[in-house]
Amino acid sequence: MDYRKISEELKELLENGGQPVAVRLVKNEEISGEKLEKKRHCEFIQDARLRGACGYATADEHLCRGGAAVLGLCRVPPQVADGSLYHKLGNYSTLEAAAETVEAVPAVKGEYHASVYAPLEEADFEPDAVVFILKPAQALRLSQAYLHDRGGRISGDYSGIQSLCADAVAAVRERGIPNMTMGCNGSRKYAGIRPEELAVGVPASDLEGIVEALRKFREKWG
Amino acid sequence: MKLNLRGVNRYAAAIITDNILKNGVQNLQLILKEDSEEVRRVAEKHHMEYSPRETEKGLVVNISPQGIEEIDVTGETCPGPVIIVGDRLSSMEPGMRIKIKSESSDVIDDLALSAPEMKAEVIEKSASHLILEKTDVSREREFTGKDKVLVVQSNGTGNAERAYATFIFSKAALSMGKDVTIFLLMDGVSIARKGGAAAVKHPAFPRLDELMAEVIEMGVKIYVCEMSAQFRGLREDNMVEGCKIAGAATFITLLSDPSYAVVNF
Repeated sequence: MDYRKISEELKELLENGGQPVAVRLVKNEEISGEKLEKKRHCEFIQDARLRGACGYATADEHLCRGGAAVLGLCRVPPQVADGSLYHKLGNYSTLEAAAETVEAVPAVKGEYHASVYAPLEEADFEPDAVVFILKPAQALRLSQAYLHDRGGRISGDYSGIQSLCADAVAAVRERGIPNMTMGCNGSRKYAGIRPEELAVGVPASDLEGIVEALRKFREKWG
Repeated sequence: MKLNLRGVNRYAAAIITDNILKNGVQNLQLILKEDSEEVRRVAEKHHMEYSPRETEKGLVVNISPQGIEEIDVTGETCPGPVIIVGDRLSSMEPGMRIKIKSESSDVIDDLALSAPEMKAEVIEKSASHLILEKTDVSREREFTGKDKVLVVQSNGTGNAERAYATFIFSKAALSMGKDVTIFLLMDGVSIARKGGAAAVKHPAFPRLDELMAEVIEMGVKIYVCEMSAQFRGLREDNMVEGCKIAGAATFITLLSDPSYAVVNF
């Protein structure tokens, strides 16, 4: 797939929706490119989107262990797994509610050595998920484009924690379908996802159909 | 494909399921919070069967075109059934199920015993059928030392010394607190033929059939190789009570168990 061309079209058709970001999880032997400096997964995505940063991060480079864990790079820290961290942070009134939420957070199956990031137009790999940071009106168009051929509905499956990692990448990779998510405290605070933005993760295999549908929308709707 | 959707409400679960099935996924296993009419309707819309099952993890729902694929291994000669089932399981995704039918309960027992070796779990079992579910990993056995003994006997009544050794060593192992299983194969199956062991007597020991009855009484399991039995016209009706026909799958499973010390006679 010509990701450079697709990326250019997506940016134009989504009216400056920003740079889509390609994310892939790799085993040891598949790794290439430069190691990124220590940051969070959501920051790696923003760096790729806003500054064109490319590279990979092993568990050691992931400052957010919860994010790294759902991407299969390390084990879930005990205080995340049992809900106590989110309970302590004030997200939930009870430990049980926190634990129930954490148990439901999507995570990839299997273990991986690193997560790889690139602006979609620079991606020299097949992405497991392509992450878009969009305004709601742009996310609406993207959703409509996904449903253009297949019909039905699209789900936004999120809980407000572990958003760009679990919802926009792990869930997309495991299910093979898009997911819309509202960001989380970490991605808004550290990665600078703005109040008027949300995130959508899409399987790379759906991009061509989405571009085609967006072109038709433009013809019909202007 | 196997997904945990316990944290997703049933309406969203139905939307996710619909979109996955539209991608052409043929076998989907979901863990849901609750039985879902919405997800069931989506499965029906895609002409697939929805089969729910309560488990410790929650409600596990299998969605696949014909529910469960069926294969009938009736009439297949050992090791045919385990090869057919093993080949089929190796191409299946974790969570998928298969129903195996056979008119022989021995074949069903054989396949059930060896299921973990084939990365499968027994979901349902009767004398004539077995439902297996492919799992992610092989059974992990905790190695606690060789506390069991597998005696493999392949010479039979034609070699009295080896025939006696089979049961004398078994008695010795039992007295030392070991679990003992005897597997008779090739000429060894002659020991299981009614009247076969009765013809063997050493002056210093009880008659071989009496020794054999004694170890059976003490709890030793005796398996008789299905293929060797067929070669020699041995059937359930002309076999000593307490012996059981078993296939290659049982033999390989026993040999693969690290807790068994294996002795050959």
